[in-house]
This record gives sequence, structure tokens and C-alpha cells, in this order.
Amino acid sequence: MSMNNNEKRHMKQSTKNRISNTVIYIILILMSIIWLIPFVSIVLQSFRIESTLQVGYVIPKQWGLDNYIKLFKETSFPIWYLNTLFIALIVALVQTLVVLSMSYTLSRLRFKGRKFLMNFMLVLGLFPGFLTMIVLYTVLKDLNMIMANAVPGLILVYVASSGMGYYISKGFFDTIPRSLDEAARIDGATRFQVFYQIIMPLSKPIVIYTILTAFLGPWGDFIFARYISNYNSSGMNVAVGLWSWLQKDTIAQKYTLFCAGGVIVAIPVTILFMCLQKYYVEGVTGGAVKG
Amino acid sequence: MATLKLTNVKKIYDNNVVAVHNFNLDIKDKEFIVFVGPSGCGKSTTLRMIAGLEEISEGTIEIDDEIVNDLQPKDRDIAMVFQNYALYPHLTVYENMAFPLRLKKNPKVSEDEIFNRVINAADILGITDYLMRKPKNLSGGQRQRVSIGRAMVRDSKVFLMDEPLSNLDAKLRNQMRAEIIELRHKIDSTFIYVTHDQTEAMTLGDRIVIMKDGYIQQVDTPQNVFDKPNNLFVAGFIGSPQMNFFDAKLSKEGEDYYVEVGEVKLLIDDKKRDILKEKDINEKDIILGIRPDHLKVSFEDNENTIKGKIIVNEMMGSEMHLHINVNNKQDIIVIVPTISLTKSQKEALQAGKEIDLEFDSKLIHLFDSETEENIIYKKEC
Repeated sequence: MSMNNNEKRHMKQSTKNRISNTVIYIILILMSIIWLIPFVSIVLQSFRIESTLQVGYVIPKQWGLDNYIKLFKETSFPIWYLNTLFIALIVALVQTLVVLSMSYTLSRLRFKGRKFLMNFMLVLGLFPGFLTMIVLYTVLKDLNMIMANAVPGLILVYVASSGMGYYISKGFFDTIPRSLDEAARIDGATRFQVFYQIIMPLSKPIVIYTILTAFLGPWGDFIFARYISNYNSSGMNVAVGLWSWLQKDTIAQKYTLFCAGGVIVAIPVTILFMCLQKYYVEGVTGGAVKG
Repeated sequence: MATLKLTNVKKIYDNNVVAVHNFNLDIKDKEFIVFVGPSGCGKSTTLRMIAGLEEISEGTIEIDDEIVNDLQPKDRDIAMVFQNYALYPHLTVYENMAFPLRLKKNPKVSEDEIFNRVINAADILGITDYLMRKPKNLSGGQRQRVSIGRAMVRDSKVFLMDEPLSNLDAKLRNQMRAEIIELRHKIDSTFIYVTHDQTEAMTLGDRIVIMKDGYIQQVDTPQNVFDKPNNLFVAGFIGSPQMNFFDAKLSKEGEDYYVEVGEVKLLIDDKKRDILKEKDINEKDIILGIRPDHLKVSFEDNENTIKGKIIVNEMMGSEMHLHINVNNKQDIIVIVPTISLTKSQKEALQAGKEIDLEFDSKLIHLFDSETEENIIYKKEC
């Protein structure tokens, strides 16, 4: 009798579980569909060749690569693309170096004003970056780094504030025991050797996380790029360039081109993420990694 | 292979906490020195100042007559073993041990030389089989061996060890302790060893430096520290179970000195008497200290004894540890060897029984109850 009761209760429990799981999955699937619609639609539209207009349907009537060919042959897109890639790569490199050395310094060295500096930068980081836009424009104008010369100007802007992104990697370095540094210093290493021979190899996730975020910032930036290049074709990045096609007088001819451009922009980032997402997640959850 | 000289070394932290007060010590070549004391006594701080990991606030540290205060750790030619091993997790055991050698410049150490030295050290430490493993695949004892190996390959002047055995379990700790004693004879180096464990201090050190609250309490050989503790703290810290203390009174009758503990009146032996006379001490409130194995259980009717009640009898096999309450106020410990006890005597030593305890005046220690210093033997340090 009691066995039966137990079994019943067990059955009841498992039915309950199954129902709640089903509900959760349905919600998740619905959410992902809603979330994916714009992406799928852009990919599909980029292969549509029957017209360049914005249309009310999603699936193209005629398929082809015309938009992609045109994109590279007849527009400034390659210039923008190279501009963006160049900026993003340089920024990724420099910003990673700055952020990591900054974080390591704040994690390991004790100096006057360290606490103040950290808090100051944290508070400063709470303000949106584009508040500085007008001042930066004037400065860059004096340096002749706007319009057609916007690329070096943009690199300067992105790199300049990078030290403020120290928080996550400092948290990571804090979890690596200091006795490792001390052992290495006694073993004969300089501070710099400790950093790149001991700490760096142990910090792969955070290094990759830092590179990725540093790359993504300029890769997708619109506000600064738009402002500093001011629609000068040789100084624009992809975001600004593609946006320039969506104006009233151009959208009718360039809409499908815009979609193709969007796909090309997404490809390298997608590949990067697919390869490195394991590290990225580890980096975000930095504190959980044992030193 | 070096001498060390610490002169008036002081450590003051940023928040004005003084961790080490005027530390003076001369360490001879190839000597094994142990810093021992409770946590927060400044022993590790002192070691880290020698290593160059902590700045020296005042005073000087000399290695081989050269002042090293401002030298970087890497330029001091020291090796150090850490409590948490501090092995480089991304390197194999071999690379961990080779690391300090690879960093050496003028002259650069050749790959062959590195190989020979690592293999030699691994051989001595019995870790040859693990050379290609990463530290995370080793047990605690193996890791500590690697860490000692990494320090060994360098042939440095001074060998520092910061509580190297604290993270190991009791059995392994005893084994490693014996290995360190053995190792010490194989490596010709000056050793400084930090521990909070008095057993390690006693068994390893040529001389022991006992510290408390940043002050040196006594520097001496293990035997002297045990036999002639400078003060109440050293007496209580060294020796396990710890020394028993009684409030007592020192008095003089004619040429003889007596100590009164409760109802017991004890004639002081000749040796102590002469010293007391020389120091011209008459009557005094004192603290009498006696080690647990120096108190004797009296089975006959004896006048000159103190009475107590056994609370707990811990049977250790070759001896019994009796926890005894004296006069309803004080708990003491007495060690009784079991080998010579008769059956009825054993029965008399069960918990709840009343017993009498005798003192031997040759084995007692006398401390000033105000300054807590040893009245008979006090060595300046």
C-alpha cells in the first residue's frame, strides 16, 4: 500500500517536472525566434536580387550573390571594411597591453593614491563616453585627425580611455596567489618577467576576454566614428558607411547592399566568438578560476 | 654558504603597526636557524625582509658582510620555500625546477648543466618519476619536494623556508621533517626556517629564535631553550604538553632558600641557591614552573606534597597524561611513565581519584611574578 503511495507521488512529481520543463522550453524557443528574426531577415534579404527596395516579405523571390559582388566592386565598402579592421586590430593590441599591465599593477603593487585612482576611474567610467565628444572633436581637429584622416584619430580615442577597463582583469589577477610572484622574483625574475612568464600564461581566459572586448568596441562603434569622420568616405568605418546608405534618398537603391554589408561585418566576429567563447565565459566569471 | 647579520632590524607597516622591534641576530655560516612563535609574532615578516619581499623600515641586514637592504630579491642570492609551495601551475616539475636556472645571466647556465642539476636534485628528493607532470597532478608532499628542489638547484647562499610543512598532514609532516634534517647535511647552505610548531623548531634548529609580539624572547640551542627558558613565555611555549605554573613565594632562612607553594615548602638546591645569593635576592613573589614529566606522583604518605584531583587520564601507551585540578582552581598536567607502575598504582590514577604530587627542587624553574623573567638563568638577547 505504502509502495503504491510512494510510486504515485513519484509519478506525480515526474509529470510536474515534465510540464514545467515543456513550458520553459516553449518560452525559450519563442524568445529565440523573436530574437533571431532580424538576423535571419537580413541574411535572406542580402541574397535578394529582384529589387533593391525595402519590401514587405522576407524570403527572396530570386536568389543570387549580386549584392555581394556589387558591394566589393562598386562601393567604398572595402575601404570602410579595411578601416574598421585596421582600427579594431590596433586597438585590440594596444588596449590589451594597457589594460593588462594596468590591472596587474593595481593588483600587485601598493603605491600612494592607488585606492583613489581605482575609485576615481570607476566613477569616471560610469559616465557615457560620448559626453567627451565635443572636446575630443576639437582636439582631434587641431591634430588634423578628422574627416579623411579619422582613422588614426579614432584609434587614439579608443586607446586613450582603455586603462579604465581594468576592473575585470584586476579581479582575475587578484585570484592568482601572490606567492607565485614572490617565488619568481626570488628565483631571479624581474617584475616584467614575472608578468609575462608566470602571470600571462596563467591568465589565458582574461587575456582573450580583454582582446575580444577591445576588438568589439571599435568594430561596432557608431557614435564616435560618425562624428569624427563626418561622412567623409575615406575616414568612415563600416557602421557609419552602412548607415549612410539608409538615408531617405539612398535607401531605395542600397537596401539589399546594406544587408549584404551587415552579413560581412558579422562574419569575423561570429567566427571569433565561436572559437573563443569558452575563454570568454571563463573571463567574465573570472573570480571562479583557481590560480 | 654565508653569514647573515641582522642589526636593529625593524618593520613598521603603513598603519604604524610595528611588526618587528629591534631584531639583532648573527647567523653563522651553514647554521640552521629556526624562527618560532605564535602567529603574528613577526617571524614571517623577518624572513620576508631577509628575502627582500618586505621593505626594511629600520636597521640593516647583511649577507656575507654586504648590506642587502636595497637589493632586489633576485640579487640577494637566496632561495625560498613557501608554505603553499608556490609552484608555477603551467610548467612541468622539470620546468619548475629549471626556472631559476633559466633566468640566470652571466654566466648563462647551459641546457646540459640545467639538466644535470635538476636531475641531481630530483634524485636526492625522490621525485625523478614526476618530472614531466604538472603540479596539479602531485600530492601535497610531492609538491613540497618540488618546491624544495626548485630552491636546491640554485646553490644559493641562504635557504629560507616559510612554514614549509604546515599544509601537510601529521604523518607526512613527520616524514618530511626527517627528510629536511637529512637534506640539510646534503646541502651546504645557511638555513633559516620559520614555523609555529615548537616540535619542528626543537628537532631542526641548531639555534632557535623564539619571538613574541615582534620581540625576540630568546636565542639559544634547543636544549638550552628547554632547560633554561628566559621567561614565562618561552617556558610555556617550548615543550609539549606545556610547563605547569604555580604562584609561589621565595623566602630565605639563614643561608637556605625555600619556595612555598600552597602547603609545600621546598628547599632550593645548592646550584640555584648560590646564584640567588650572588644576585642578592631575598624574599619575592614568584611563579614556579615545572614540566609535566618532572612532577612526581607520590604513592606513600608524604608531608611535603600538593594535593589534586584527577579530572582526565589520557592513556598514551608508554605514559599517562593526567589532567589534575589543584586546590579547585588550577588545572595542571602530569606525565607518568606506565612501565614501572603496579596494578594498584594504576588504579589509583583513574579519573576522580585524589593524588599527591611531589616536587624535585632541581627540576623547578623560578620566574619573577612581575617581570615574568627567569630569576636564575636570564640570557640577554
